[in-house]
Amino acid sequence: MKLVGIVGSNADFSYNRLLLQYIKKHFESFVDIEILEIKDIPLFNQSHDQTNSAPIQKLNRKILAADGVIIATPEHNHTIPAGLKSVLEWLSFKIQPLSNKPVMLVGASYYDQGSSRAQLHLRQILEAPGVNAIVMPGNEFLLGKVKEAFDEQNNLKEQGTTDFLQTCLEKFVKFIKVVSSINEPQKDLSAEEDLEATGKIDTTIEGVDMSAEDWVEQASEKIDAVQGDTYVKLNRGILTVNQLNALLASMPMELTFADSNNQFLFYNYTEDKEEMFAGRVPGQVGNPLANCHPPATYKNVKWVLSQLRHGNEDVVRIHVPTHGPDKYVVHSYQAMHDDTGNYMGVNEYVLDFQPIIDWYLQQTGQRLAKDETVEVDATSSASKKQEEVDSVSGASEQATSEVDSVSSASESADVDSVSSASIKS
Amino acid sequence: MNHFIGLVGTNSDNSTNRKLLQFMQKHFSDKVSIELMEIRDFPLFNKPETDQLPEVVKDAAEKISQSDGVIISTPEYDHSIPAALTNALNWLSYGIYPFVDKPVMITGASYGTLGSSRAQSHLRQILDSPELKARIMPSSEFLLGHSLEAFDEENALIEHEQVKKLNGLFEDFQVFVDLTNQLTNAHEANKQEAKNFNWETI
Repeated sequence: MKLVGIVGSNADFSYNRLLLQYIKKHFESFVDIEILEIKDIPLFNQSHDQTNSAPIQKLNRKILAADGVIIATPEHNHTIPAGLKSVLEWLSFKIQPLSNKPVMLVGASYYDQGSSRAQLHLRQILEAPGVNAIVMPGNEFLLGKVKEAFDEQNNLKEQGTTDFLQTCLEKFVKFIKVVSSINEPQKDLSAEEDLEATGKIDTTIEGVDMSAEDWVEQASEKIDAVQGDTYVKLNRGILTVNQLNALLASMPMELTFADSNNQFLFYNYTEDKEEMFAGRVPGQVGNPLANCHPPATYKNVKWVLSQLRHGNEDVVRIHVPTHGPDKYVVHSYQAMHDDTGNYMGVNEYVLDFQPIIDWYLQQTGQRLAKDETVEVDATSSASKKQEEVDSVSGASEQATSEVDSVSSASESADVDSVSSASIKS
Repeated sequence: MNHFIGLVGTNSDNSTNRKLLQFMQKHFSDKVSIELMEIRDFPLFNKPETDQLPEVVKDAAEKISQSDGVIISTPEYDHSIPAALTNALNWLSYGIYPFVDKPVMITGASYGTLGSSRAQSHLRQILDSPELKARIMPSSEFLLGHSLEAFDEENALIEHEQVKKLNGLFEDFQVFVDLTNQLTNAHEANKQEAKNFNWETI
C-alpha cells in the first residue's frame, strides 16, 4: 500500500509535519508513506497559470501514483492555512489528481481542538466537484496540545494516541480497498453465463445425452419419474401428474423453464412449433440453452440470464412485433427463486397482451391515447438491448405472423359480449 | 461620511467580485466613500519567525484600522474562499489585529447559481476566529449568481431586484456600523484576547 502524506503547512517548523513523520516511521512495516511538502507551491492565481511548473507537476504525479493520501492540516483562523488551500486550488484548476482518491485527514494544533474546524472545512473543500476526493468518514484524528505530545525522539508520548492512530490507519487501508472497488468499472457478468450447461446442480440428471431427441424418456426412466395419475405434493395442494399437465397446458401462454444450470427442462407442449408464438419442438427439452438459440444471439441470451441471476431485474420483457399489428406478443423472462431466495432458473412466458388490453378498455370504457411526451421504444421494452432484442428469444426468429390460434378467443366477438353480459346480468 | 474599505477577495485579474465592489463604490458615492483594496501583492503566508510584516500587509492593516467598516466580496473556489483571501486574512491577523470589532459586510459573486454561498459561510466562521474577531453583520447575505451576465456595459447591476436588495442591505450595514460603535464594552478584552492568541508562545 503506497500512500503520500501531504504536510498542510508551509511553515519552516510544523507539528503537522512532525506528526506525519511519526506516522511514516512508526507504521513503516504496515504502510509505505512518502511525505510531500507544499512549501514550493506558489499562491494560486487563476490569471497566472503555473500548473505546468515543476513543483505542482511533481505533486500531481506523486498523488496520481499513490493508493491514498493523508493530509495533515493545521488550523489558522478557524480554517485551513492559505498555503494548503492554494495547493488544493492548483490541484483542481487544470489537473485533478485527487479525483476519486481516498483521503484521510489528520491534524495537530496547540489548543485542545486539534484543528477540528479546519478539518471540517477541509472535508467540504475536498468534496467540491473540482477536487472530487473521497474522504474517509469518521475516524477524526485530532492531536490537541501538540507542544506536549511528542518526546525528545519525536515519538508520540501517549500510547492511547498511537493506538487510535493505528486503528485509523488500518481502517484507511480497508477504506482504500472499498473505494477502489467502487471505482472499478462494473464487471459484465453476462460473459460468465454458460449456455452449454456444462455445470451440474442438485437436480441435474446425469448420464443422459442432453441433446438426445428422447431425452425426456431416457431421463425419466433413469430417475424413475412419476407420471399419469400418481400424486405429487405441491406448495399448497396435491395434484396428479395428469392434473399438473392439464393445469400448465391451460395457461393462456407459452411457458418454458430452464434451470440455473441453463438447461432447457420444460415447456407446456400443447401446439406444434408452427402454431406457437415461440416455436418449440419436443426434442429440444433437455438441451443446453446454446442448442436452443442461434450463435448470433448468445450475447443477448447471456445478458438476459445474468440480469435475472444477479437480481438486476426480476423480469425482462421483450416485445416481439413480428406477429402482426393485431397482437402484442411479449416474451417475459421471469427469475425463479427457492424459498431462501437462491436463483433456480428462468421461466419464460410468451403472451399476447392484446386481448387483455382490449378487454380492459371495454370493461372500463376507456380508449388508448398516445402520450406525446413519452418516447416509446417501438420494437421492444428491453431498451438496453433494443437493437438486437428480437434475437434474444431463440424462438422468435422462427415465429410466423400467421400463427394466431393461441389468441383465438379474442377474435370472436361473441365471446367478449357473453363474458361482459354475464357479469352485468 | 463613513469611509469603508472594499476588500476584493481574489487575486485574479478578472473578477466579478471586483466589479461588484466598483459598482457599490459608485452607486453609494453620495452616502459613503468606499476605497477598494487589492490582495494580489500579499506574499504567501508561512508563519514567519520574525515579527517583521511585509509593507503591503502593514499598509492594508493601517487602512482597515482607519476605516469605519469593511466590505469583503468573495468568490468561491472549491466550496470555500480563495486561498488568496485566506492568505490575506492570515497576514492581517498575525501579530496585528485590524479586524477586531471592525464592522464587516460580506458580499459575493459567482458565475453559477449559488453566488458563493458556501464560501460566504466559511468566511463568517473565519472572521469569527479569535485572531480576527470581526463584527460581521448578522443574518445578511448578498449572493450575486450568474455574475458574468449581471452587469451592463457601464458595469452597473442590471437586475432591479438585486439593486433593491443591495440598497437595503447597505443601509442596514450603515446602521450596523453605528450600532457596533456602541458595542465597546468588550473591545479592550477582545483586543487583548487577539493579542494573547500568539501562535508560538501559548
